[in-house]
Amino acid sequence: MTLKRVRLFVVMAIAAIFLLAWVFPIIWSLLNSLKTDQDVLAYPPKLMFSPTLEAYRDVLFGSAAILPNLISSFIISIGTTIITMLMAVPAAYALARLRFRGKRFAGFYVLATQMLPPVGIIIPYFLILRRIGWIDTYQGIILIYLSFSLPFAIWLLVSYFEDIPFEMEEAAYLDGATRLRTLWRVIIPQVRGGIAVTIVFVFLNAWNEFLFAVVLSGNTVRPVTVAMFNFVSVEQTLWAKLAAVSVLAMLPVVVLGIVAQKNIVKGLTVGAVKGGGRR
Amino acid sequence: MTAPGASAGEDSGDLGRVLAQRERKFAMSLLAPAFLALLATTTFPLMFLIWTSTYRMDLAMPFADGFIGLENYRILLADERFWSSLLVSLIYTGSTVTLQVTLGLALALLVMDMKRGQGWFRLIAILPVVLSPAVVGMIWRTFMLAPEFGVVDYLAINAGLGSKNWLGDPLLAMISVIVIHTWQWTPFAFMVLLASLASLPEDIYEAARLDRATAWQRFRRITLPLLRPAIVMVVIMRTMVALTAFAAIFTVTAGGPGTATEILNLYAYRKSFTELSIGYGSALAVALLIVTIVISGLLFALRRAK
Repeated sequence: MTLKRVRLFVVMAIAAIFLLAWVFPIIWSLLNSLKTDQDVLAYPPKLMFSPTLEAYRDVLFGSAAILPNLISSFIISIGTTIITMLMAVPAAYALARLRFRGKRFAGFYVLATQMLPPVGIIIPYFLILRRIGWIDTYQGIILIYLSFSLPFAIWLLVSYFEDIPFEMEEAAYLDGATRLRTLWRVIIPQVRGGIAVTIVFVFLNAWNEFLFAVVLSGNTVRPVTVAMFNFVSVEQTLWAKLAAVSVLAMLPVVVLGIVAQKNIVKGLTVGAVKGGGRR
Repeated sequence: MTAPGASAGEDSGDLGRVLAQRERKFAMSLLAPAFLALLATTTFPLMFLIWTSTYRMDLAMPFADGFIGLENYRILLADERFWSSLLVSLIYTGSTVTLQVTLGLALALLVMDMKRGQGWFRLIAILPVVLSPAVVGMIWRTFMLAPEFGVVDYLAINAGLGSKNWLGDPLLAMISVIVIHTWQWTPFAFMVLLASLASLPEDIYEAARLDRATAWQRFRRITLPLLRPAIVMVVIMRTMVALTAFAAIFTVTAGGPGTATEILNLYAYRKSFTELSIGYGSALAVALLIVTIVISGLLFALRRAK
């Protein structure tokens, strides 16, 4: 009995340590974002302090504002999501439901594009975009984000399209509906949930991307993940402001992650082999 | 499983062919936009990359640019920094993937046995994996690893180890970037393996318990073989990502000190965009592609072998 108790205690202790280790860096950033720089730099680290929203005021509206960068991140992520979905939904439907020669090859091709390391894409793309003047533009960044968001979205959507019974389509055809009309009126409503999940993950991956963004961004278009570097320079680090920016950059994806909690394993397992720009 | 349209025309060949052709045309028009975009953003850059890798192309000295055939690859094979970055890549990938899978599996087994509190784990585990590796890297570099007031350093001081230069010492920097990547992605292995554990049939364990199998025997003979497909899948997925990890190292050490944490991916980036040798950087990226293909080939062979 006592041995069992000791074992239970040890197991709980290990579990608690893991939970704490995962949540701590995030909570700590949140706490630091509510401190003054002096409190951030205090030794030993302060758990009790008088909280202030000064850092948030500075990074949102002050001289070093990253509000434009947050807006950039939203424009890039929303733009990528819309264009990706417009292309991926029809493609995934065709791959999941229609019969045509070369289908297996088409599916394999979508997977194989993911073998290409992102750095191997950005080197040539940098040269091309520089030639046509698309560095530091939204269209340049969104275009190259399709390289990872499209395969990811197509494969995630295929898994949802495959779940719909064929009878639904057949009934619609017998009623004389055209293919396009059937797709739009009968099939799409069936996979609404899958489309919503896909949207969440495409947005999340675009928001978190860094390599392409750091090469292609400039003074006009610079997402928040890249702009964060302004707060850490050789001369000085703006501690509380950096913490506030981190929290602002984490907020949308944490909210989306919790909203999509039930589907996260599916999204991640499709995503990591078959897409996912976050390296 | 016959697709609509095609099934209707099976009795009359002509109609069947017409319908099949119509279905094919419809499929092509649905696929065209996505496939054109994929061609333009993946296949075309790959061709262009191979082409630039045969050029001397230096953004700092454009007057010396020109076709040099396989010269970049000859230089690469004799380049010590290439071989050291390849070694760093293999150490980084091997250690982070091993740590993620063993810790993730251990924790999944532990949580599976818990009667209460599973929900907390499922919720908390989401947090690290949805974050941008760039933000994660920044947080660790500053609030966790900064000398003295960084929490890790504070704990080290209190443990009697003294204040350490976590990102300035080559060995500690390597350990740090490995720990950071492991911190972020162990929850991924944990969630996937927990989901897979939860789907295992209960009655096998019942039988094993009746046979008085020990906990270790049950794990070794039942759980592990049943989990093998899921474990191999996690290993493959995590290996691909670790090989091309970028933000998680770039934001923390930028490959430093010196080239201590410079994985091949980072070397290709630095050569191209910091040192502006696009031609040679392209050759490095092609080398990374070859390494990726070889390693994934080995892993897929492992998956097929029973």
